[in-house]
Amino acid sequence: MSLPLHEIETFLDFTSSELSISKNSISLETCFRDIPSWSSLNALIYISRINEETNVLITSGDLSELNSLQDIYGLINERKHGIN
Amino acid sequence: MALTKHRGVKIKGIVNVIPELTEDNLQLTIINKEERVKLVEHTGIRYRRISSLPVKNLFARGIKEAMELTGWNYDEIDVLICVTQTPELSLPSIACQLHGDLGLKQQTICYDINSGCSGYVYGFHTVASILSSISKDKPRALLCCGDVSTHLLSPEDTSTRPIFSDAISVTAIEYNANDNNITARFNLETMGSGQSAIYTELNAQNNKIMRLNGIDVFAYSVKYVPQNIETLIKSAEIPDEMPNLYVFHQANKLINDAISKKLKLTSDMVPHTLEIYGNTASASIPITLCSRLNEMNNWILLSGFGVGFSVASVLVKVSDFVPHKTIEI
Repeated sequence: MSLPLHEIETFLDFTSSELSISKNSISLETCFRDIPSWSSLNALIYISRINEETNVLITSGDLSELNSLQDIYGLINERKHGIN
Repeated sequence: MALTKHRGVKIKGIVNVIPELTEDNLQLTIINKEERVKLVEHTGIRYRRISSLPVKNLFARGIKEAMELTGWNYDEIDVLICVTQTPELSLPSIACQLHGDLGLKQQTICYDINSGCSGYVYGFHTVASILSSISKDKPRALLCCGDVSTHLLSPEDTSTRPIFSDAISVTAIEYNANDNNITARFNLETMGSGQSAIYTELNAQNNKIMRLNGIDVFAYSVKYVPQNIETLIKSAEIPDEMPNLYVFHQANKLINDAISKKLKLTSDMVPHTLEIYGNTASASIPITLCSRLNEMNNWILLSGFGVGFSVASVLVKVSDFVPHKTIEI
């Protein structure tokens, strides 16, 4: 694990950088699908970067059940001990 | 897992057939300019090839070139296997059509395998198994792999169109019944729970259209490919001759880099041809292998993964020079 994405501030910094959005514009309550840059390509890049940093894998089935950045943050924490 | 080992099987030549017609992802108007640059950077794919010809015609050209390259005669071909998911006709098989067109002998075993990105390794395993069962000292096989995937694409689909590309490859394989050395070890696996990651559906005009769920292809590839390879290498018990060349199916850069990183491979061990040829399905492994065939090598690892979800890897011994050529038509 490189970046401590289990820390809220780090996770929001990471998300802001990866999805090219100002950190002031997002919070854990933000619905990730409402972020202007959210597209199939950027979603794939975001998911691959989460895997690169945490070894956590997120599927399309997971995403369909998630709405907010809090949900993604929660999933990363739930799976950070190697459960894919 | 299905671990198998095979004695006396050798690759004797490889011919790749690449269509000349090229599309540039940086000129792809279905996505905006900023995303095009990002797409090329992250998928690693700049150019893709488009074939107006059916896959059978590409196979026929590849076979003709392979016969010249190896010096084999048509009446020496004991096995012809065609791996494709884009036949123009549902039946008869392309292998049987080519058998007739090329005038192969009646005793030639011919059939098609419906397999995509793992198809080169699956086809190689099939050929190795058949050849060793033939009552002959040195039976010979031609393994044709590839697709005209662009014939299945919707022009407006931003998930598939920037990725898939047309090409085929023909590999000449020979078995030596007097060679008792193990020359190929396979690990073949299937994860059918991932069947929806890549599939075709019928559009309003009743045409088959390919659909791709990029996030699931990434998840299945990164989860299952490294462990498939690690299991194979561990079972092979060749610690002093670990492969120094890993040729992966050319899926996209995100996936291939993630797999390489999990396996702790350095970039010089992992050749790629994504930028110039795109994702050419079951042809991508032999096409990429040929980019490094002049610097042999001992044990090399080939790994295919994708539609199914299917994962197949082989450790193959390539100790002699393998003649090869890549032609554009």
